[in-house]
Amino acid sequence: MAILEVKNLTKAFGGLLAVNDVSFNVEEGEILGLIGPNGSGKTTTFNCINQFFPVTSGDIRFKGKSIVGLKTHQICHLGIGRTFQVIKPLARMTVLENITASAFCRVNNINDAQEEALRILEFCGLADHNTKLARSLPLAGRKRLEIARALATKPKLLLLDETAAGLNPGELDEAIDLIKKIRDTGISILVVEHIMKVIMTISDRIHAINFGQTIAEGTPQEVANNPAVIKAYLGEERA
Amino acid sequence: MEKKKLQYALIGGFILLIVVLFPLVSNNFIIRFGTDILMFAIMASAWNIIGGYTGYASFGNVVFFGIGGYITAILMEKAGMHFAVAYLAAGFGAALFAVLIGLPVLRLHGHYFAIATLGVAEAMKALVQNLEITEGNSGIYLPMLDLSIKGQYYFFFYMMLGTLILTLLLTYLVLNAKLGYSLIAIREDEDAANSVGINTTLSKTIAFALSGFFTGLAGSIYAYQQAFLKPGPAFSVQTTVKMIVMAVFGGMGKLFGPLIGAFSIEIISETLSNYFLVAHTLFFGTVVILAIVFTPKGLIDMITQRKFGISYFLENIREHRI
Repeated sequence: MAILEVKNLTKAFGGLLAVNDVSFNVEEGEILGLIGPNGSGKTTTFNCINQFFPVTSGDIRFKGKSIVGLKTHQICHLGIGRTFQVIKPLARMTVLENITASAFCRVNNINDAQEEALRILEFCGLADHNTKLARSLPLAGRKRLEIARALATKPKLLLLDETAAGLNPGELDEAIDLIKKIRDTGISILVVEHIMKVIMTISDRIHAINFGQTIAEGTPQEVANNPAVIKAYLGEERA
Repeated sequence: MEKKKLQYALIGGFILLIVVLFPLVSNNFIIRFGTDILMFAIMASAWNIIGGYTGYASFGNVVFFGIGGYITAILMEKAGMHFAVAYLAAGFGAALFAVLIGLPVLRLHGHYFAIATLGVAEAMKALVQNLEITEGNSGIYLPMLDLSIKGQYYFFFYMMLGTLILTLLLTYLVLNAKLGYSLIAIREDEDAANSVGINTTLSKTIAFALSGFFTGLAGSIYAYQQAFLKPGPAFSVQTTVKMIVMAVFGGMGKLFGPLIGAFSIEIISETLSNYFLVAHTLFFGTVVILAIVFTPKGLIDMITQRKFGISYFLENIREHRI
């Protein structure tokens, strides 16, 4: 069963159609990759799903129910967590406080929230950095923090927006392992990524868009060999 | 850790004991001065909730002070109510006003929020100047407190002290609960806070209401103490500026920062005005500028980190390069 159904999603900024009639499903327990060149509408799609932007037309259904028109914080309570491409650490809070703040999404007591936060930090490999300020972490740590913060809200669906960008090869492998580990806990994942190594290894299926429109969908192999995708990434004569 | 907590508790208890006993061995002038410090400590601490923790620098918090004062005046003078009722009504009235004004104004950020709140305070002053029930510009009288002179000084001192303790206690409880984490998360990044399920509008409005509540209580005690209220002083922009300067001077976003700020700013400004009758504001301004440049995290950071001297100052300047 599809946990997330995006149907004919359209988002216009004035005359610009950032997302134009895009439809896809995220099945329960799968990792769906969303790819496309810069400016193709990936992050806008994310912002529509968690209702940062009002949708122009189309429908978004989570577990069969439409979530269009809800508030961003309600989307989180329903069970959709997200990370940001431009990471947003709560800079002057410690790592533990960062995660505790989001663990409060499910519990009301500070002891429960801290306990949950410690569990998540252990899971994400950040347990040694508990007392550090978020801004003092290196980039890879802040990317992990971003994931941990989303996980602490106990999502059923996780939206990952370029969590591997800017990481070195060793860190990339660790990021891939972490994403797989999250999937193995039963969380469905929609991932936007530019680094092909990452998106090809982790995705069960890939949905490709360009200029706000769907150009291909299928297994990583199918999409990688699709002429429209190659054209979008490499230009006319390569296709 | 436990030992350190005990140490802090002992120091805190000792300071509190001194403050509680202090009026008994002081003359009226000093008690009155102490009462003023406590009043500004309440207001700076209340400002800290919205400005320091939530990151919404309100430049109109004096509006709650004025509203608290006028509610007290009207309820006591026109409706003949007891001070205890008027005091509570002042707090809740100011909080209600904060909710009503907060819903539109808290959608604004940064400078826009600052200007909007400034505007609200000025508009309220104009309104009070022209209403009949507030007796306009001529001001409104309150019934006198029926106590001996010394008793009156004691009464207002301990009212302010009790209100300050209430303010700090409630702030402490908020900080260790979901709301406190939500507020600081909003200060650090409102979009991120929203995306982890924090109802930012609700949290900000509660913070503004709490800030208004405690400021309103201070205004209520002040009005009763003065026994006379005029729109000009009750809604003075300078009062807001003083709250902010005290909070920043002592340490924004720290529980005891504004308290330390209120205490030190009042002492410094009183000492300076004793020595330099005319030029004291000039020296005072210089002290504030130096403090902001060298210790932007406030005096409390120096005290808790136990760091003094050139290297600490240089570190701060590097970190907060303008």
